[in-house]
Amino acid sequence: MSRRRIRATAVSVWLIALLVALVATIQIRSEVEVQRSLVGIDPTSLAFLIDDLHRANEALDAEKADLKSKRTQLQSGQSGAADQVLSTEADRLRAVEGLVPVHGPGVVVEVDASGLTVLDLEDALNNLSSGGAEAIDVNNNRVVMGAAISPSGSDVAINGAVITPPWTISVIGDPTRLGIVAGLMMQQLRADRRVRGASYRVESDIVIRSVISEKPFVYAVPS
Amino acid sequence: MSPRQLAGIAVLALVAMATGFVLAGQVKAQLLTPSNQVARYQALVVSVQELEATNSESRREIAGLRGEIDSLEADAAARSAATQDLRAKVDDLRAHAGLVAMHGPGIEVDLRNGDAGSAATGTAYLVNFEDVQDVVNLLFADGAEGVAVNGRRVTPLTAFSGSAGQVIIDQGPPLASPIKVVAVGDRNRMFAALDDPSALASIRAREVEFNLHLTFFGSPDLSLPAYDSSLQIPHVTPAN
Repeated sequence: MSRRRIRATAVSVWLIALLVALVATIQIRSEVEVQRSLVGIDPTSLAFLIDDLHRANEALDAEKADLKSKRTQLQSGQSGAADQVLSTEADRLRAVEGLVPVHGPGVVVEVDASGLTVLDLEDALNNLSSGGAEAIDVNNNRVVMGAAISPSGSDVAINGAVITPPWTISVIGDPTRLGIVAGLMMQQLRADRRVRGASYRVESDIVIRSVISEKPFVYAVPS
Repeated sequence: MSPRQLAGIAVLALVAMATGFVLAGQVKAQLLTPSNQVARYQALVVSVQELEATNSESRREIAGLRGEIDSLEADAAARSAATQDLRAKVDDLRAHAGLVAMHGPGIEVDLRNGDAGSAATGTAYLVNFEDVQDVVNLLFADGAEGVAVNGRRVTPLTAFSGSAGQVIIDQGPPLASPIKVVAVGDRNRMFAALDDPSALASIRAREVEFNLHLTFFGSPDLSLPAYDSSLQIPHVTPAN
């Protein structure tokens, strides 16, 4: 083989090796970029995540402001300040836990259907909770996370009480956010063959009279 | 042709083949992300990371403030029997709302993403918020007195959301597989409920179809952290 041919072969090998190295580098770089970011999350989901985190951080800021106000009140040392803080806290927690009747703005969702299951109700309640529900009642049964929702024949029971269709779900919370969630739920429900009718209305004052009975802990011990 | 020339051609052929394989793999995987797309994506990721850092700091601050308030209330209760009674009631309400750490017998449930390699469809399955919601609801329906998911305490107002394998609980950061659900309560009842083949039908179907991993075991003493986020209910007023 002539020297020129040998040189040409060497150059070809060198170029190909360079190309391989180049492609491998780009490949590895792309993989690292993807890995460094949140793997498997598409940009749309990331945008939703940002929206959720903004809302969450705003709620946390409101909680911090409330707690700082309580701390200031307690530090004031004024007569009855502690009792006032504790009474207000007790009232709020009783409402959170569904132990007292409550009222406020929100939405009322009505669903007439046959064959709806525990999961259908749990999904509906979770959708409304995600939309900012602060108190929920289903056919005069107060519902909070932790309520026992179980099948009962062809129906669903909440804490042992059977609820038969139509379901009337009364929800107190931000009526604008709840209205949007209820609107999206209607689209899904109306596409469901089991559903005979589904509607919702926004109300300025919903009264929820149902309450949950206090249950003492049997197994859990506060640390 | 000399052996040396043959060796040179073989080397060339090998390198060319390798290049072909790499190029084909690259085109198939479509991992050559345009740099501006990567930049935009990275900007979104940085936003998420910054918001998560703020979120984490706020939750730490809230836990600290609750601790300070607890101490101040304890001081006030030490000076008055009436305040002491009121504080005992509030403590009980706080425990039921998830604002107090607790421990006791219980169950730990682990949920892990499906494995794409061995799944019948060849598609990976990511644990989503509905899977977690189903497990938590089952545990509460069958004897749980308190539940936490990856260290986030579940409260009466808890809601689950998320997308693309991310699980968001209330105002917390996104969680992803592996998900650990810890429940304190009637251990035997919870175990029986999880062991019932008719329970968690959709998760069991995904176990078969996508190799979603669901395992659980009982323990005589499990711990749950206190809730560290907001329980504000600005639209609710007690009714007379």
